[in-house]
Order: sequence, then structure tokens, then C-alpha cells
Amino acid sequence: MRNIISGLMGATVLAAGLGATPALSADITITMAAPDWPPTRFMKEHFDQTYTSPAGHTTTLDMDFIPWPSFYERVAASLTSGEQKYQMIVTDSQWLGAFVEGGYYLDLTDKINADPELQAIMQDLHPALVSAYSTYPHRTRAQLEEAGEVPAPGVSYYGFPQFPDTYVTFYREDIFCHEGEMAAFQEKYGSNLPCSYEDWQDTDWQKWGQIGEFFQRSAGEDLAGETLDDDFYGIAYQAGKGYDFSTMAINAFIWQQGGDIWDESKMPEAQAEGVVNSDAAVAAFDEYLSYLQYMPPVAQTGQMDIFVIQDLYMQGKVGAIIDWVGLGEPVLDPSASKVHDKSAFGPAPGSRKGDGTIDRTGNIGGQPFVLTTWNSDEVVDEALNVVKWWLNPETQLSAVANGGQSGLKSVMADPGYNDLRPWNRAHVEMIDWQKDVWHIPEFFELLTQQQEEFDKAITGQQSAKEALDSVAEFQQELLEDIGFIE
Amino acid sequence: MARRYREIGKAGWGYTAITGLVGFIYFFPVFWIILTAFKTRTDALAVPPKLFFTPTLENFQSVFFRASITTGTSQATDMGLYFFNSIFIAFTSVGLALIVGTLAAYAFSRYPLKGNDTYLFIILTTRMMPPIVVIIPIFLMFRLSGLAGSYWGIILLYTAFNIPFSVWLVKSFFDELNPEIEDAARMDGASERRVFFGFCIPQILAGLSATFVFGLILTWNEFLFALLLTGVETRTVPVAMARTLGGEVGVDYGLLAAIVTLFLIPIFFVTFLLQNQLLRGVTFGTVKK
Amino acid sequence: MSETSASKGGFGAWALDPKRRGAMLVAPALIILFVMNIFPLLWSFGLSFFNYKASSPRVPSFRGLSNYERVLTDEKTWERFQTTAVIVGSSVLLQLIVGFLLALMFAKVFPMRRIVLMLVLTPMMLSFVSVGVFFKLFYEPTFGIVSYVMNIFMTDKFVMLGSPGGAIAGIVIADAWMWSPFVMLLVLAGLVSVPKYLYEAAEIDRASSWRIFWTITFPYIKSLLLLAILFRTIETFKLFDIVYIITEGGPGSSTETIAVFLYRNAFQFFQTSRSAALAYIVLFIVIVLTNLYLYAVNRREEEVT
Repeated sequence: MRNIISGLMGATVLAAGLGATPALSADITITMAAPDWPPTRFMKEHFDQTYTSPAGHTTTLDMDFIPWPSFYERVAASLTSGEQKYQMIVTDSQWLGAFVEGGYYLDLTDKINADPELQAIMQDLHPALVSAYSTYPHRTRAQLEEAGEVPAPGVSYYGFPQFPDTYVTFYREDIFCHEGEMAAFQEKYGSNLPCSYEDWQDTDWQKWGQIGEFFQRSAGEDLAGETLDDDFYGIAYQAGKGYDFSTMAINAFIWQQGGDIWDESKMPEAQAEGVVNSDAAVAAFDEYLSYLQYMPPVAQTGQMDIFVIQDLYMQGKVGAIIDWVGLGEPVLDPSASKVHDKSAFGPAPGSRKGDGTIDRTGNIGGQPFVLTTWNSDEVVDEALNVVKWWLNPETQLSAVANGGQSGLKSVMADPGYNDLRPWNRAHVEMIDWQKDVWHIPEFFELLTQQQEEFDKAITGQQSAKEALDSVAEFQQELLEDIGFIE
Repeated sequence: MARRYREIGKAGWGYTAITGLVGFIYFFPVFWIILTAFKTRTDALAVPPKLFFTPTLENFQSVFFRASITTGTSQATDMGLYFFNSIFIAFTSVGLALIVGTLAAYAFSRYPLKGNDTYLFIILTTRMMPPIVVIIPIFLMFRLSGLAGSYWGIILLYTAFNIPFSVWLVKSFFDELNPEIEDAARMDGASERRVFFGFCIPQILAGLSATFVFGLILTWNEFLFALLLTGVETRTVPVAMARTLGGEVGVDYGLLAAIVTLFLIPIFFVTFLLQNQLLRGVTFGTVKK
Repeated sequence: MSETSASKGGFGAWALDPKRRGAMLVAPALIILFVMNIFPLLWSFGLSFFNYKASSPRVPSFRGLSNYERVLTDEKTWERFQTTAVIVGSSVLLQLIVGFLLALMFAKVFPMRRIVLMLVLTPMMLSFVSVGVFFKLFYEPTFGIVSYVMNIFMTDKFVMLGSPGGAIAGIVIADAWMWSPFVMLLVLAGLVSVPKYLYEAAEIDRASSWRIFWTITFPYIKSLLLLAILFRTIETFKLFDIVYIITEGGPGSSTETIAVFLYRNAFQFFQTSRSAALAYIVLFIVIVLTNLYLYAVNRREEEVT
């Protein structure tokens, strides 16, 4: 089902009018599966406003906006049934394995090899993003950088950033910079309450916990000089059962403290047993769990996902949260957020290493988009033109200004970039620390079991060690079964 | 004494007050959803929960219009089309299932086939399967037949979902009728068609309307198949509703409540109009007069 | 007695032959059902004997009963069945109690009955998704109205979904709220079918109201109650959205019903064949329940006639 819809009337009239040769130009419709939210709505609107095909085609970007909560189901059903409806698909990086192995996502390595323009783009993309969004089988950033060239030999490339996301700290400037609170914090803990961006650069998890303890107030107590009419909490981060809503945060703790998850880039030598449940990993998970007591009561239910903490923050129930940049825009919206004029953003806290520096390794969020395998060369080439248009610095700056994000180093280095959105500085700092969770086809099986065990620990049904032990055991067995561990 | 008998099972306004209170408590979650439709996000999430607030119509406006990302101008959301789709698809498929089901029910009741009960049971079995399992085959079938994204595809699918109930329900209504009247009509020279339309159907009209309402309630909110099998043009409200469940913020409570409220109106009125019949419907017609 | 339209020859005559009248009338329904329902069902039944993964281009190979064996020996399957049984059991029980009490209330004729009845019927008309979303909000410890009300009476913070028991209760309440009206309609139909003269006779005998209920009312609603149990059991077995939205199966796996488990296997793990096998096991159980249900229908008919 090639989607060269011959909008006959239009094509003929246009061809006749311009005297163009019909053989060279065609009407091309690129249907794209996209979650329904502002960054993709922007892409569509901006495309309609600015795109002209360098090949002289009349190109339509037909976006199928699918509600976020059902996006995965719709895409999975379309792909696995062989519907062949889409030419481009926005995808979570973790789905790469399943849908590449299924034969649905197009390997672009040869195209990149043959096209200096695409090579330049790949060079300009942040290597953490290329590693997470584009390579399958997965290659780490270190492995890519070791190779030096793009495309790296023996590596296959698939995706480009649609919305590269990292998590940063959202915090209440009015209370963190309140003199009385700052003095009280100094007195109690002997260190400063982080107020400026630079203060947050020096904030580790230990201080994060202190903030939580310090700002946990009951209704009737004072906060920043005002009497509270409801309970207030200092901190919150994701601890939810759904999808990856605890794994993302827990992975960060584990990586920062020298633990690891099963490392697919070292297949088949990499083990799960003994790695996933190493002492370092258990200690890191324990630390993650220890801060939950300072978080709003929903933390006890295992339902404290990325949206719940966002709502708690926007309604002024919590002082600081760690959440995705992609969820930042509503915080600044006066109609949704009580703290729209009181918010500032900093890098997410990390673990302090022996030398005093802070390790902020985190699990990347956001989505790449990919091309599909059933299209004619003409459509693929035109789709790559759309990719080039999208990853053009001008488009990308405009995207950032309109609630999107960019993964291009040149855009992030642009002098105007940091002022475009208030979290941009933190985003750039964080993106350098990003790694990604697994990409293998069995990703969902690993994730679901792990989320379940983590959830039991979060809701106090088992210890960190018990949780990681059963995760390690499950992964070892599954991965040995399918031959990923020898 | 005669007067007292007539009053058995009757009550006055005092009783209305008590049941009204119980009814309202039961209705309260719905009432709260309707209230939420008139709230800003901040009011919807206010602590303590707000019973009194300045109502806004903004949510209802956002049901039908959204602001453009780049220019800020207002764009239509096509929600009007989705409401039309939902009404058209639900009413057509439930109506179709009723017609087809009535014919089959008449046959099962009056001209039993060999293995009549087996057929009836197989028909009911199709309603028991967890839908998730048949999705891939149905999806594939729709793609191959070109039904995907068309009105006919989803209408036929919903018709199929409603046939089991329609057949079972309507059959029991036919079973209740006295066949002697039909035979008498035949003796008088009435054609089969006339027996069916002139004698049987009028007697079970109440039952047919109950079946219709029942089917409508079960079809109105179907989500999974609508998500996978409708296209941009044929999308129904439950699918469009899902856009309020997550994106840049979590659930957009006000917008969701506004859609739920609007979407409740048609089915509420149909149910209200055919309420008296509903009492018969849900018993699968097993109650004999 | 028979129609005379068989005078024309060909297919029309063949189709209108009174001998085939039954079959012809049933045909449209069976054709639609076969194409839209039975055919896909048979398809996945076939798949359940292979090792098909919808996400993989590999040609599936025949595996006989190994999927069934694997599903039946997986202890997770049995845990999920137990969870489902607990949720279905308590939800149906609650629906019966609430539905029964509501039915008693509406058995009388009173002014504005139609309108008050609509108040109670409305929950059925909402979608599972919106019921799930709003009940989750009601339970939310900071914003939720249920939590707010409970906190007035409790010293500790009320956290509904924090424990397995609380999470099950949360799901059961939402589901029972939505479907108790359905049970009410069933019971109410039974109540209004009790012939008035029986009550009148009982009144003359000065029977106690308990005795009236037990000897006159109950026989008329007994089978209907049984119907309600079985019908709601069949439907609650498929309960998915409310669970998936309110708890996602948590805490841990304590509310993961068989429908959620099936969804994960089919759509997230792409164990297409294995999930088809699991689904057929579920179907088998539901068929057994349905047979009980039909038995109840038949008994009811025998009693009345």
C-alpha cells in the first residue's frame, strides 16, 4: 500500500500551470503516527507553514494524532497486523527492538552513508540521543564515540529525535529563596537551601532528603511567612506502577551509585544475576525508597506517576519535583498552575562521588521518530527530506520556542537558546548524563515484572533487596531462555 | 377495604423525599463530574474540594475548539463530527442488530431448527470472549477487506456485538405470545408477512424498545475497537475523549468532564423516554405476565 | 396456510420455500456473527496451537497443546485467577446487596419515581474509562473528595490505594457503583411481577411482613437473583479499564485481574499464541458459568409455568 495518493486534480492543474515535468514531481502523502500533544501538533503546523520539497514534490504531512494513553496500542496493532498505514512513526526508544525485529522500522544506515547532509545532522545530534534513539542493536554512547565516525562501522541507525526529554528539578523560587526559610535551613542542616541555579548544581540526594524533611509541614503551620491551610510536602519524584513510572527514577540512582542494569550492549556476556541485585544497586534503591516518606501521601499507593507529581506541584502542594522537561509547559500556564509565576528550574540532584563532584546519570525520556519499511524509494527519499527539514537549526529553534525540545548540539549552543524556555539550561546540562534502558524486543516483559517488584517495595510489601533479587532472577531466566545471556 | 388494597405498593411525597435523597447520594459522583465540567483545573483540584465556585464555560468551548500552537488562533477539534459519528454508528448498529436479531428470534421461536438450542448457545458465546484476543484477527480482516476506517466496518462489528442480546431478548418476547392468535389469523387468510408485522410485532413493541435501550447502553461507550478500527473521519467520542487523559498534563479533568456530560445527554434522554420498557428488557424476558 | 409467493422460479422460490423459512430468517444474523465474531475467534483458536508472536516475522510453527500446558502450569495464571475471583466475587456481592436494596426502594409507586429512578440508572451510561479516572481522583489522598471526607473522621491520612485490600476495595466500589443499577432493574422486574392478589391475601391472613417477603416475594425474585449473579459474573470477568486506570494492577500484582494479565501478554509481550490459549481457558470457564446461568433460566421458567 504505497501512499502516493494521486490527488489527480491538483497535480494536473499544478503541473500544467507551472509547466513542470510530471515525471520529476509527484504528490506524496506522508502519514505519520503521532501522539496528540503540543510538540507533534507544532511539527504539523510548522510543516504546513514552512515546508517546501527540495525535490519539487507536493508533499503532505498527514499526521494521525492518537491520544497519548492509547498511542502504543494503536501503533502496535497497526504494525503487527501489517496495516502499513504509516510512513513515519513517533516511537518510544524502548520499542525499537520489537519493531525493528518485526521488520517494520527502516534501517537508515545506508541512506546516511550515502548522504553527507544526513551525516552532518547525525554528527550534530547529541551522542547520548543517537545512542538511545537511533541505534539497534543498542550501542552505548561510549561505544559510538570510540568509533569516532558517523555512521560507526557495524552499527545500524533508525531514529531521529522528535522530542528529546530529560528530567530536571521544578522548584518553588518563592519558598526556596525565602530569607526566613533559608536561615532556618542553614541553622538546621549547616548548609544552604538551594535557591539559584548554581545552588541546584551542587545539590545531591542527601540534601534532597533534607529539603523533604525540612518542608514537610502540616496545615496550620507556617510556610515562607504564610499560614498553610493544607499539608505541604518538600519533595516528590516518580514512584508509579504504570508503564516506566518508577524505573526511570530508580535507574538513575542505581547508575549513579555504581550499580547497573542488565547491559544489552555487552550481550551475551552481560549478566543479570549479581549485577541487577548487586550491593551497590540495592543500596541505591534503598536510598530512593528512603525519601518517599517525605513525599505526599499518594507515594504510599504506588500511583505517584509523572502526572501526579506535576499536579501536586502545580496546585502548590509540594516544594520541588523532579519531572520531564516535556511536562514543564503547563506549569507556566496561569489557568492550570497556581505556581506559574513562582517556578524555577534546575538540574536534577545526583549522587556525590568521592572527589566531591556530583554524578547525575539519568534515564533518557522523550521520543524519536522513525521511517517504515514498506515505502517506495521516492517516498523514503522525500521522508528523509522531511527529516532534514525538521532537524534544520531554524526549525529546531522554532520548535523549542513553541514548547518543543531539540537534540542538536548547535541549537543548544545557540546564544538565544537558554532564554527560549526557563528549563533549557538545565536540560542541556542533564542531556549529557543520559543513558537508556533496554531496547530488546522483550523490553515490555522486563519492564512489567520490574515495575511490579519495584511497586511492592514502594508500597512497603518487600525490601529493596527482595525486589532486586526477584528482578535479577526473572531477568536471568528470561534472557538465558532467549539466548541473550550465555 | 377495597381502597386499601389499591394502595398497596403506593407511597406519597414523603417517600419521594427519602428516595430522592438516596437517589441523589447515589448520583453524587455523576453530579460531581458534571460540576467539574464547569471548573477550571485549579478549582477541580482544589483542597478542600469545592462545591461552590465561579463556573466557567471554557471546558465546553475546548471540547469544540483548540488554540493553534504556532499562531494561537482557534481551530476546530472536529468534536462535532465525532458526536455525529457516535450517534450515527451506535443507533444504526443497535437498530440493525434489532432488525436482524428479531428475524432470527422469530425463527428460533416459531420455526425451531435442528439443534436450535446449540445455535442459541453459540450466539451467546461470542459475547463472552475477552475482546483483546480477537483484536489482531479482526484488525487484519478489516484491513484486507477495506473495512478499516469506514462507517460500515465499525457498524457491522457493533451489530455483531449486539446480535446475541437482541436474539435472546426478543426470542423470549416472542415465546410469551400466544401462538393461537397467530394461527387464528392464518385461518382467516392472513399472509405470513401480515402475521409477523400485523400481529406479532405490535405486541412486543415494548420489548423491542427495551432491547434497543439495552443495546445502546452497552454500545455507547465502546472504546477498544473504536480506537483501532475507526479512521480520522469515523472516530467516535470515546476515542476522542482519550486525548484528555494525558499528554502535557495528566488527566484534563474539566475537559473530560465536559465531554462526559455532553455525551451523557443523548443516551440519558433515550433511556428516559423508554424507561418503562427497560424494566422488562434486562430480565431477558424471563418474567412472564 | 402457507404463502403463495413461491410461484416465481429460481433462487427467490428456493429461499422463500416455507421449509426453509426458519433457516432464512436466522441466516442474516448468523452471517454477520460468523464474519465479525466467530471467524476471528476460530482464527485465534488456531493460533493458540502455534508459537506465533505478532511482533515477529518468523513463520510460526505448530506446537500442539504446549501453550495450554505452559499457561496452566504458570503459577502467575492461578494468582491472577484468584485475584479475579476475589474482585468478581466481592463486586458481584456488593452489586447484589445494593441493587436489591435499591429495588425494594423503587418497588413502590410514588410521585416523580421516573425521575428519581433516572438518578440511579445514570452510572451505567458512563464509560468505564471516565468512571476509572474520576474514582481514582476521588481516592487521591491530597485532592480526592473521598479522602477529604475520610480525613475528617480519621487521625491518620486516609490512603485508599496503599494496601492490597484497599486497592481491591477501591476497584470493587467503582465497579459495583456502576453496575448495581443493573441488578436493581433485574430485581425490580421480579418484584413488580408478583401478582397483587397474593399480597392482598397475605394481608387478610395478617401474615408478618418478614413472612410475606419470604413466602411471596422471594420466590419471584430468587431465580432473578441467580441470573443477576451469573450475568454480572460473566461481565465482571472481563473487567479491564477500571482496574488498569485505578491501580494498573498494583500494589505489586495484588489487583492484576485476568483481563489485565491477558492484555499484557497479548499486547505488551506479543505472546500472541500463548495469550490466545489463556483466553480460551477463560472462555471455557465462562462457558461453564453460562451453562449454570441457562440452567437457572430454565428452572425459572419451570417454576412460573
